[in-house]
Amino acid sequence: MTISQANCPSCGANISFKLGSSIVMICPYCRSVVARTDKSFEDLGKLADLIDTGSPLAVGVRGKYHGQYFELTGRAQMGHQAGGMWDEWYVSFGEGHMGWLAEDQGRFYLTYERPRDASAAIPPIEYLQLGAPVPGLDAKETFIVAERGEARAIAAEGEIPWRLVPGETYLYADIAAEGGKFGTIDYSGPQPIVFLGHEVTLDDLGIKVVPRPERTRTVSAAALSCPHCGGPLALHAPDQSERVVCPNCDSLLDVNQGKLIFFKALSQTRVEPKFPLGSVGKFDNVDYTLVGFMQRSVHFDQDYFWQEYLLYNPQVGFRWLVDSDDHWNFVQTVPPGDVVESAKAATYKGKTFRKYQDAIAKVRYVAGEFYWKVAAGEQVQAVDYIHPPEMLSKEVTRPDSHGHQGTYGEINYSLGTYISLKDVERAFNVTNLPKPTNVAPNQPNPRKGVGLYWLIMTVILLFVAVVSTVAFPSKLITTIPYTFQPLPNADGTQVVFTEKIQLLGNRNIQVSGTAPIDNTWLYAEGDLINEDTGLVQSFSLPIEYYHGVDDGESWSEGSQTKDTYLSSLPAGTYTLRIEAQWEKWQEPASMNVTIKQGGTRGLNLILALSVLLIFPILGWFRKIAFERRRWADSDFSPYGSS
Amino acid sequence: MFRKFYLIFGTGVILFYSVAAFRGWEIGTPKREVLSPDVRRSPGGYRSFHFWHSGFHGGK
Repeated sequence: MTISQANCPSCGANISFKLGSSIVMICPYCRSVVARTDKSFEDLGKLADLIDTGSPLAVGVRGKYHGQYFELTGRAQMGHQAGGMWDEWYVSFGEGHMGWLAEDQGRFYLTYERPRDASAAIPPIEYLQLGAPVPGLDAKETFIVAERGEARAIAAEGEIPWRLVPGETYLYADIAAEGGKFGTIDYSGPQPIVFLGHEVTLDDLGIKVVPRPERTRTVSAAALSCPHCGGPLALHAPDQSERVVCPNCDSLLDVNQGKLIFFKALSQTRVEPKFPLGSVGKFDNVDYTLVGFMQRSVHFDQDYFWQEYLLYNPQVGFRWLVDSDDHWNFVQTVPPGDVVESAKAATYKGKTFRKYQDAIAKVRYVAGEFYWKVAAGEQVQAVDYIHPPEMLSKEVTRPDSHGHQGTYGEINYSLGTYISLKDVERAFNVTNLPKPTNVAPNQPNPRKGVGLYWLIMTVILLFVAVVSTVAFPSKLITTIPYTFQPLPNADGTQVVFTEKIQLLGNRNIQVSGTAPIDNTWLYAEGDLINEDTGLVQSFSLPIEYYHGVDDGESWSEGSQTKDTYLSSLPAGTYTLRIEAQWEKWQEPASMNVTIKQGGTRGLNLILALSVLLIFPILGWFRKIAFERRRWADSDFSPYGSS
Repeated sequence: MFRKFYLIFGTGVILFYSVAAFRGWEIGTPKREVLSPDVRRSPGGYRSFHFWHSGFHGGK
């Protein structure tokens, strides 16, 4: 049985453990880490003061999650290998049931320890590959490795359910799965311990955040001058910044627990940002302060540069505004577990993004402050996937690319949304930003399709055709059989007139001639003559029909029937005149002439439908031309290499 | 702009087709002529008139 009350072995103050599951507690008087054993208390050493991270949480805060009440009973501040730190809160649900609540950059991840036997098959941390599934993990979801690193206990308070030793480092791997699932593999002991859970919000936890007055960071006024050149230095996100560049001497300074420490002098060619650091821009009704600026590049046949602006809002956290060839993107990070990658695509929230670029991106210039230990020359593998107007970017940091050795590695995903120049100008209340001259990878295609319009108009056209067919059905006016006597010579013709026929107004006229010809022709020219006005509508009926067998294959050409269509004539009485001529002039000939009115002529409808298709086809070509320009600089173009 | 053009153009096509369908217009209809009153008053009227055909001939 463990003891729960005694005197601090360091300062002698009376301390007591409230929870049976706590391994150590931090003496509230002297900040010593006191571990309890079966028989006594052990002093594990002193911790530094807690760093004010601006967290809305505190030890003693209570909440309710999934119907279970809980209390935050402890907190540890863990230092990140790449700089920066995060808070780990210990959540007591009662009866020894504990949860771990990690807080990082304004995001919260609640995890629970899995049974030890569930992690027996997990390999050592060296065998975990960034972006690859975690082998041997007993979980329903597929978790991928998002980060491998080493954490260092910096500060703590309250009761801690593990043996926290000041200054000691612990290997860990962060893992993630689709749907905001999150986990950590703790390699601090002989066997990995797995914690699984998911991202939560304070609302999920039933914690009401009481707004605090705008805090001022513990960075003293004296510290706000460059320790290298003594020049003035303004920190816009003092709670979050890990590194800052002196605007006076280009020194890179570490922000270490409120102190500015010279790290190194940068030798970089100055790049002027389009907005001065400290500017405020409004996006989605949130005011962001521009705290950092960097220029990065990738190298193909030459260096290609772009600029990134780090935006900060204390309530929302960090966002990026990226300027590439005067095209702008608003960027925020996304959980790695929500992205599923394949060879040439990535899926995020049901959208498939196509691979556009895979290159090593290098930091070329830095100014302002950053929430990680940024350095000029820092390299990451950057992979971009596009689904205009969005771009999904993956950045993989490897041990040797960040100045870190050993196991460190991290994979980050971010989602960029293309924003127009006007929106950027409006956000920063500026004008005359340079206009882009090329096509951005995720620029929305301005060539809007007209497919919907085409569909609607086609339906209307078909409707009109149906209505006109129903309203004016085809009506037989007359059928006249003609028999022609032999002609006097080959150039002769024979003329016949019909009896009077009545034609309807506003109806098209179909005249059909049928002749029983075989491998010959008969040509008839006709005239419809209005008896009252003398109006003459001429037409011709060239009938020819040939057939035979060539090289064993039968063929035929022409037809024994010929139709011609005429526009409507004024209603009235007409006489049909037929003048005929035929090849076998020595023989008699015959033909039938039929006149119909009304009905829809298919050719007219096809022509109208075809004309309606001109714009959609033209639009499609314009759209494709734009897409080709979009992919011109990509190694993964679906249009082949340019 | 492209969409607007298409909307105007397409509406025009539909209107033209509708008018053509309800008025009985056909493309390719040969030109019409009117017989002069002299012809119609002459003996035999138009039945003796030499019409304007070019005097064809068919054949393959």
